[in-house]
Amino acid sequence: MYGGGNVFEATKFDDLQTEDPAKLAEFEARIARGEKIEPNDWMPQLYRKQLIRMIEQHAHSEIIGALPEGTWITRAPGFRRKMAQMAKVQDEVGHAQLLYSAAETLGKTREQMLTDLINGKSKYSNVFNYPAFTWADSNIISWLIDAGAIVNQMANAKGSYGPYSRALERICAEEAFHLKYGHDAVVHMATGTPKQREMIQAALNRWWPPIMTFFGPSDKMSTHTETLMRWKVKMASNDECRQQFLDMYVPKIWELGLTVPDPNLKKNMETGQWEFTEPDWDEFKRVINGDGPCNAERLAVRRTAEERGAWVRRALLNPKAKYVKPLA
Amino acid sequence: MSLKSLDPRVTRLNLPEGETPAIEPKPELDQFETYEAFHQKKEGAAHTYVGPVHAPNEDVAFLFAKEQYSRRFACVGLWIARTEHIQVTPYVGDGENVYEMMRVVEEPTERSEEAEAYEIFHLKKRGKAHTHAGRVMATSYQEALQEARNQFGEKGPIVNVWVVKSKHVLQSAEEDKDMWTTIPEKKYREAIAYKVMDKITKYKEEHKTTAL
Repeated sequence: MYGGGNVFEATKFDDLQTEDPAKLAEFEARIARGEKIEPNDWMPQLYRKQLIRMIEQHAHSEIIGALPEGTWITRAPGFRRKMAQMAKVQDEVGHAQLLYSAAETLGKTREQMLTDLINGKSKYSNVFNYPAFTWADSNIISWLIDAGAIVNQMANAKGSYGPYSRALERICAEEAFHLKYGHDAVVHMATGTPKQREMIQAALNRWWPPIMTFFGPSDKMSTHTETLMRWKVKMASNDECRQQFLDMYVPKIWELGLTVPDPNLKKNMETGQWEFTEPDWDEFKRVINGDGPCNAERLAVRRTAEERGAWVRRALLNPKAKYVKPLA
Repeated sequence: MSLKSLDPRVTRLNLPEGETPAIEPKPELDQFETYEAFHQKKEGAAHTYVGPVHAPNEDVAFLFAKEQYSRRFACVGLWIARTEHIQVTPYVGDGENVYEMMRVVEEPTERSEEAEAYEIFHLKKRGKAHTHAGRVMATSYQEALQEARNQFGEKGPIVNVWVVKSKHVLQSAEEDKDMWTTIPEKKYREAIAYKVMDKITKYKEEHKTTAL
């Protein structure tokens, strides 16, 4: 699963004037021809920087996203659900491994990325700063957060960077199971006893506001955004992703007789666009900057795992080992 | 005060609440070195690149790669090579052949007394995965590349070549084939095991809900 909501901030590398014009033209022509960029190719600083940021955030989201669901493995009702939940969590952690390696091919080591995550320097998807109160919350995450992630990942898989595309292809294949598993769990609750229906509706009510912020605020169309779209780093606007998600999943929520806690949510048949109450972007900013219900816990848990494993890694380290970044 | 969580196990960790000092940057190689993994999808198929793993040694790399790359996909064989041991040619554009671009052959810096085996991997198109083209005998990486060009370099576009000594590739053994068999009871992790339409249809009939 993946937190979208990438806010592509302008950086000091925005100035393409400093790049070699001949190399830049060759790079752009390659992308325009539909060819992928591979790790050793020349690339503009802005391209490298934004991709590292994006893939790294994606990796962190996988590993942190596994925490709220992981906590439900032992309490999942029944053995089969425990096994399935465990398989899903293992998949998510595996995705993080694939993504860290893809980011590494661009020149940032896994050590640096993990340090930046724990020190709050790099972000992960904001939705994981919210708690999973009940088993039903875990089901909503499995279904709808993963659904949102798939919308994002399917778009990004068509991006221009080879290692990221390769990783996303594997990831998307596994996500197909997550989506079905999550949907099955929600349908089970929604078509079950009145108590089960009540639980799943309450969880949906809790998760709807974070879900609506999942793809991030509307993009400000700047030359910066246009450049990243031309380079196939950003493949769809945040609004396009959000609309696609609503198109695909609101009908599936409604057919179960569940309600969405937004009285303004409706599809405008003339424009073909969904209308909704604007999400609380102030809260989004506050939470992403550290002040959410679970930020401290998520990072503390990650930090503890890193610290407690340190002696094992030290003991296993081959003194002759030499760091070489992965090939592709 | 320690951190209170909805998860009692997290609460029991007695983690400090509030601001914690930043951690020291992780030391170099805290996450180990990298190995590249190649899997064989089915009997007789060429080994194909699946991705890297971080590991402290070859055996652990094999285990990690088996878990990472064969857990969810059909696989009947796995090869592992340390990234450091793989020599990489330049990348050319799609549709081109890198062997034809290599006019000047570098003098090898190291040469073995006797010819030894090298594994050759080709990338046919950018964004796709390197695939095993075959094995050649040579006394250096450069000579191996020349041999590869003579033996497999003619056909079609090849945008990049990886060369690695066979002795540096850890290969799963023929007699261990049964380790790739997935037991059928693991259907719960396949999308196909989840059939919800019957439940939804039944619910809709009973409650007359509509999608839009």
